[in-house]
Amino acid sequence: MSQFRFVFVVFCFTAVLIFAVNLRSANDRIFYERCAYNADMSRLKQELGTKQLLLEGLINPAAISQRVDKSNTDK
Amino acid sequence: MVSFLALGGRCFYLQFCRNQHYSEACLGQRRSYRNLRPQRGVILDCRGRVLAASNKVQTIFAEPRVIQDAKATSSELAPIVDMGAHIICQLILESRNPGFTRIKTTTDYNQCSASTKIYGIGVQSDWQRHYPMGNLAANVVGFTSLDNRGLEGIELKYDKELSGSAARNIFFADVYRRPIRAKQQDGVLTNGKGIILTIDATIQQFTRDELFKQYENYEAESAVAIVAEPKTGAILAMVSLPDFDPADIRTTDPNNFRSRAITDWYEPGSILKPVAVAIALEAGVVNKTEKIFCENGNYYGKGLFGRIGEYRRGFGDLTVREILINSSNIGMAKIGQRLGKDRLHDGLKLFGFGRKTGIELPGEIDGLLRPAHTWDGYSVTRIPFGQEICVTSMQLLRAFCILANGGRLVRPFMVRAIVDNEGNITELKRPPPPVGYIVKPEVAKWVVAEAMASVVNEGTGKRAKLDKWQVFGKTGTANIALSDSRGYSDRDYVASFVAGAPAEDPAIVVLVSIHKPNRSLGKGYTGGAVSSPVAAKIIERTLTYLGVE
Repeated sequence: MSQFRFVFVVFCFTAVLIFAVNLRSANDRIFYERCAYNADMSRLKQELGTKQLLLEGLINPAAISQRVDKSNTDK
Repeated sequence: MVSFLALGGRCFYLQFCRNQHYSEACLGQRRSYRNLRPQRGVILDCRGRVLAASNKVQTIFAEPRVIQDAKATSSELAPIVDMGAHIICQLILESRNPGFTRIKTTTDYNQCSASTKIYGIGVQSDWQRHYPMGNLAANVVGFTSLDNRGLEGIELKYDKELSGSAARNIFFADVYRRPIRAKQQDGVLTNGKGIILTIDATIQQFTRDELFKQYENYEAESAVAIVAEPKTGAILAMVSLPDFDPADIRTTDPNNFRSRAITDWYEPGSILKPVAVAIALEAGVVNKTEKIFCENGNYYGKGLFGRIGEYRRGFGDLTVREILINSSNIGMAKIGQRLGKDRLHDGLKLFGFGRKTGIELPGEIDGLLRPAHTWDGYSVTRIPFGQEICVTSMQLLRAFCILANGGRLVRPFMVRAIVDNEGNITELKRPPPPVGYIVKPEVAKWVVAEAMASVVNEGTGKRAKLDKWQVFGKTGTANIALSDSRGYSDRDYVASFVAGAPAEDPAIVVLVSIHKPNRSLGKGYTGGAVSSPVAAKIIERTLTYLGVE
C-alpha cells in the first residue's frame, strides 16, 4: 500500500511538473504570438498609412492644379 | 573526501563569489530590448487634408564587420532588394562604419523579411516625415531633421506636442531571439498629438498659384500673400516666395526657409494711409466732408518737415475720401500734423504696430514704431503715408482685419486645435472672442465700404475690381531705404495691395506684397500694377470656393 502511495505521489508530482512546464511554454508561445500579431497589425497600419499618404499626394490641391495646368498645356 | 570538499568549494565560489557575474551573463543571454519610438503627430489643414505625417520605412543594412565574403552576400541580396550586386558589394567594402552600411530604404515588408535571412544583413525601422503637398505650405508647416526634431514653422513651434514620448520594452527571448515574456517597460509610449491648422489647402493653392505667376513675371526678389477671415482672425492661406520643398532641404538656400510674412519688415508706404485716416476720424481731427488743401503737389516746411511731393501730379482741395483715392502724400501729411505725434503713435500702437501679432510661428519680429518722444516734424508728416515705420505683412493684415471687422480687435491665429490619437480635441487654440473697439464701427465701416471701395472703383486699385463682389482695397508703392547711405533707392520698391470683399460685410482680407519687382522690364512696379491683379484673382477664386454671394 505504501509503495502504491509512493508511486502515486511521484506520478502526481511528475504530472504537476509537466503541466506547469506545459503551461509556462504555452504562456511563452501566446506571448510571442501576441507580439507577432501586434507587429503584423502595426505593419498593416503602416501600409495603410503609406497608401493614404500616396493618395494624399495624388489628390491634394497642388497636385490637381499641376495636372490641370499640364493637360491645358498639352491641349 | 577531498573531491567532495573541492566540489563544495567550487559550488560555494560560484554561488557566492561569482553570483553577480553569472546572473548577469545569464540575463544578458535571455534579455532582449526593443526601443519604441513614437509616431510624430500629423499636421492637417482645416478640412483634414494631410500637410505633414510620419510613416515607417525600413532600412535594409549590412554589418560589414561580420560579413566574411562580401561578394557572396551581395549576390544573395541583390535579387531580393532589386539592386545590382556590384553596387551592394561596393557599399559593403567601402563602408566607413564597420557596424552599419545602408543598402536600401523601402516600405516593402517582403523584401525586408527575405533580407534578414542572410547573415550580416539586418533591417532597421525608422519614422520618416512626409509632406504630401510639397512646396504648397512649406513656409508654414516647416520641416524636421533626420532624427525627427522640428526645425522650422509649425514643426518647430509645436515640436513638444508633435513629438510624443518614447519607451523601451525589455523582454526575455528564446534561442531565436523571439520575445517570450515581458520583463519590464521603461517609460510609456505616447504618439505625438496632431495639429489642425486654419490654413485651407485649396485657398493656399489659389494664393500660391497667383502669387507665383506674378513673382516670376516681374522677376521679383521675394513675395508674400496672406488671406485671412477678418471676423475671427483665422489665417486661411499664407505664402512666402521663394519657398522650398521640405523633402529636399539639403539643397535649399536657408533664406527660403523663413516665413517672410512675419520675419521681414519693411516701410509699408501708402498702404498705411487708411489706418492713419481711421485714427484721425476716430480722434475727430478731420471729418468726412471737409476739404484739405493739398498744396498743388509741393508742400515745404523748411527746417520742420522738409519737402513733400506727390507720386505723379499735384492736387488742390481734396476730401479725406479723395485723399485715399488719389493716394495724396501731402493730404496725409496734413492729417498727421492735425493728429500730432502722441495721438498718431497711440493709434498705430492700438492697431498693433510695433509689437508681435502672436501668431503661432517661430521667428516673428516686432516691427519698428519708435516712441513718440523721439519723433520730429518729419516723423509726424511721413508716418501717415508709411515712411519712418517698419511693419511685417502680418501686422498690416491685422490692421486691415480690424477695419474690416467693424473696428473690433482681431488676433490672427493659425492653429485651430490640437488633437490626440483618437481624434479628440485636447486643446482648442482659437483665441477668445475679441473685446474692445480700436475705432468706432461707423468709422471702420466708412473707411472700408466708402473710402477703400472708392480706391478700387475710381482710384489706384482699379485692376482689383470684380463684377460679382464689391472689393475694397488700397495700393502701396514703397521706396526701399538705401542700406549704405541716407535716402531711398529709386530702383527698388515694395509693391503692395491690401484688399477684401464683399465691402458691405467682408468675408476675407487679402494682403499681397511683392518685393523688388524688376522695373527694367517696363511692365510697371507699383502696387496697383503688380499686386492688385494678384489680390483680385485670389479674392475671386476664394469667394467662389467659399460660396460667398
